[in-house]
Amino acid sequence: MLNLSGISKSFIGVQALSGINLDVRAGEIHALVGENGAGKSTTIKIVAGVYKPDAGQMEFEGKPVQWARPADAKNAGIHVIYQEFVLFPHLTVAENIYLGHERRNRFGFVDHARTRQDASDLLRKLGVDIDPQILVSELTVADQQMVEISKALVHKVKLLILDEPTAVISGREADLLFARLAALKAEGVAILYVSHRLEEIFQIADRVTVFKDGAHVATKDIGDVTRDRLISMMVGRDLKDIFPPKKPKGEPGKVVLKAENVSVEGRVRNAGIEVRAGEITALAGLVGAGRTELAMGIFGGLPMSSGSVWIDGEKVDAITPATAISKGVGFVTEDRKGQGLAMFLDVAANISAANLSAVTRNGLIDRRLENEIARKEIDNYRVVCRGPATSVATMSGGNQQKVIVARWARTSRKVLILDEPTRGVDVGAKTEIYRIMRGLAGEGIAILMISSELPEVVGMSDRVVVMREGAISGELTGANISEEAIMSLATQHPTGKVPTAEVLAQ
Amino acid sequence: MTALAPIRLSSRLRANQGVLVVAALLVILLIFGAFISDRFRTTSNILNIFEQSTGLALVSLGQTLAILTGGIDLSVGSMISLLSTLTSGLIAGKVSMVLPVAIGILLLGLLIGICNGLLIIWLRVHPLIVTLGMSAVLQGIVLLYSLGPAGSVPPSFNFLAYGKVLGLPIGAVFILVLFLLVALFLRYARLGRYIYAVGDDEVGARLMGLPRARVMLTVYGFSGFCCGLAAIYLTSRFSVGQPYTGLNYTLASITPVVVGGTLLSGGKGGVFGTLLGVYLISLLNNVLNFMDVSTHYQLIAQGLIVIAAVSIYVEKKKRV
Repeated sequence: MLNLSGISKSFIGVQALSGINLDVRAGEIHALVGENGAGKSTTIKIVAGVYKPDAGQMEFEGKPVQWARPADAKNAGIHVIYQEFVLFPHLTVAENIYLGHERRNRFGFVDHARTRQDASDLLRKLGVDIDPQILVSELTVADQQMVEISKALVHKVKLLILDEPTAVISGREADLLFARLAALKAEGVAILYVSHRLEEIFQIADRVTVFKDGAHVATKDIGDVTRDRLISMMVGRDLKDIFPPKKPKGEPGKVVLKAENVSVEGRVRNAGIEVRAGEITALAGLVGAGRTELAMGIFGGLPMSSGSVWIDGEKVDAITPATAISKGVGFVTEDRKGQGLAMFLDVAANISAANLSAVTRNGLIDRRLENEIARKEIDNYRVVCRGPATSVATMSGGNQQKVIVARWARTSRKVLILDEPTRGVDVGAKTEIYRIMRGLAGEGIAILMISSELPEVVGMSDRVVVMREGAISGELTGANISEEAIMSLATQHPTGKVPTAEVLAQ
Repeated sequence: MTALAPIRLSSRLRANQGVLVVAALLVILLIFGAFISDRFRTTSNILNIFEQSTGLALVSLGQTLAILTGGIDLSVGSMISLLSTLTSGLIAGKVSMVLPVAIGILLLGLLIGICNGLLIIWLRVHPLIVTLGMSAVLQGIVLLYSLGPAGSVPPSFNFLAYGKVLGLPIGAVFILVLFLLVALFLRYARLGRYIYAVGDDEVGARLMGLPRARVMLTVYGFSGFCCGLAAIYLTSRFSVGQPYTGLNYTLASITPVVVGGTLLSGGKGGVFGTLLGVYLISLLNNVLNFMDVSTHYQLIAQGLIVIAAVSIYVEKKKRV
């Protein structure tokens, strides 16, 4: 159905794809796996007509094709369910489902009654109970995903691409999805399925392709690979070489950051957490479970409707980011570019940004001192750049992340909160960031890491707090930390295994 | 899935609670006006308010669509100045010229609007900049054409502004019909739906293959067309057009839109809210007149209303 050969694509100097091959056949579910930054999303966007490849050939239904715009790919029968939904929050569920395929009466006007009715039927066919009349912005993330999936069923598609569809759903909803995919596959639809969850790939896929650093590693029948083999192909090295050794068993560290009964309007319900000196505590859970919101609430960046926070045993009332920072707490946000770095400033300015008073002499910034500090930190964290005067916009994601961590580590000597610290970072830089985090913990700093990547949580944490739908669903320590245990707490599936599609179809 | 059952039917209404506030304010102002002056209560004054609101209503209607797509049209003020000056300048007192000039003016408004749309699409420059630039260009052109009032219109031309059908001002009736048509368009035409979609999530609209270019040409073209209507109406009202007729209309056209609950970021709102906003502002100005407050204060009040309205409607984003 789809055949890519030798596709390359680069973005302002960064090679995202170098000559990848991929073929997806009619009536198969083809899994595409790889680490963040492996080029999966870029590939999808090329197939969908969002990006144009720099080189290589794309064939669809046996004919060479070139898409000028997403509409071309769509008209050819390609439907993509993107990881970041394409939903319009101010339109209703029914209006979203039929957007671009409006139900019309014989005069050509939009037929609202029929749109509602058809949407209702479609959602029922999918097996979910969502009112087609409510605005999409009022749905839970999981329900939004189901609406996104139902859009693929509106019209006949030949190739369906799903990018991490189960990042926000699990259990029952995931099974509904798998049942639907099995039905589409039986109808001869080609399905390209991108996922981090290897269990479900072994459950539903026929073949699997592995990408690493923008290159094609292998394509195999699913029966010919094992889970461990897949992981080592994705990562390119053994797991034990990636994560530094954990804190040796012994006395748990002193509680430095404590929060009780925290609620954040609509996102977090009565959650409590303790973060200990010298330890890495992970906050795990599905996307949308309220992890970032809990941490932001504690840090003072989001208003808490209830809750108390203690830093180093001292109760802090009406916390704001400024008081949190002054008491030695730092927050490395998930969105480096938007909320973290001043992209147009240089490395030195970015490192000193959180604590300008340390480099201020007589009311003026002492550039020489600032550069000196920057040089030290560049060395310390092995930041790859030309020097303190390098503009951070020109640096890779991993090195940018090191700059932010360096900034906060200078001011936040008690608690450092890191939200998805390795998102969009290649494996090499990941390993370095892990080493830095462990090093800071070794200096006695309490680290709270929010992460959606289970291997990272398992590999790095001394303690894992799991959230589900805004509340804390459990805590794991030491040898009890495993992907299965975390998923089970995150989804409340007692076995941690996803039931098969057949069970659900009944 | 979740406990959303009790609020099902009213989902969209709840999202537009602000419009109810505007309606309530209208009523309060009416009652207040009735207390401060006997003349306020007369039918002729109420009809007068409708009459005075016509020009504002026309410009704001086009502005509403532009803002619904997440854009804005800052060229409306100069466009009205240009079109209105051309109207009386080209008619030059001749009855025979009225119809051809009126049609020409409407087409010219449409054309300028389409130019705005094309520039936005081609240059990928934010509508704010494109229309701001266009505004300066148009103002320059009209001043080249005439430094003061130009030409004249036949006396009968004023029936547009002061004429009545079934005892109601023509302009007010026309406005109600036009707003209704646009509301139906937004609700029942596919392109109407796409206007909301583009404003809600422009990248998403592109990913879905929705016709963004057509949407942009439609809304900016329509805004230009509305300016043409407003220019003709205002020329009829003042009997002549001059290069500063439209001066205050740029800010004035945005006020009712945001007061009426249309988000400046686009994707949410509608023309009925705008109409309520137009009436609210016209009523406010009328009441202030009866209180013998200088028109300069009316401008101040309008500015404050815009800021207050936007701060009320702004979607509370996560602040970090």
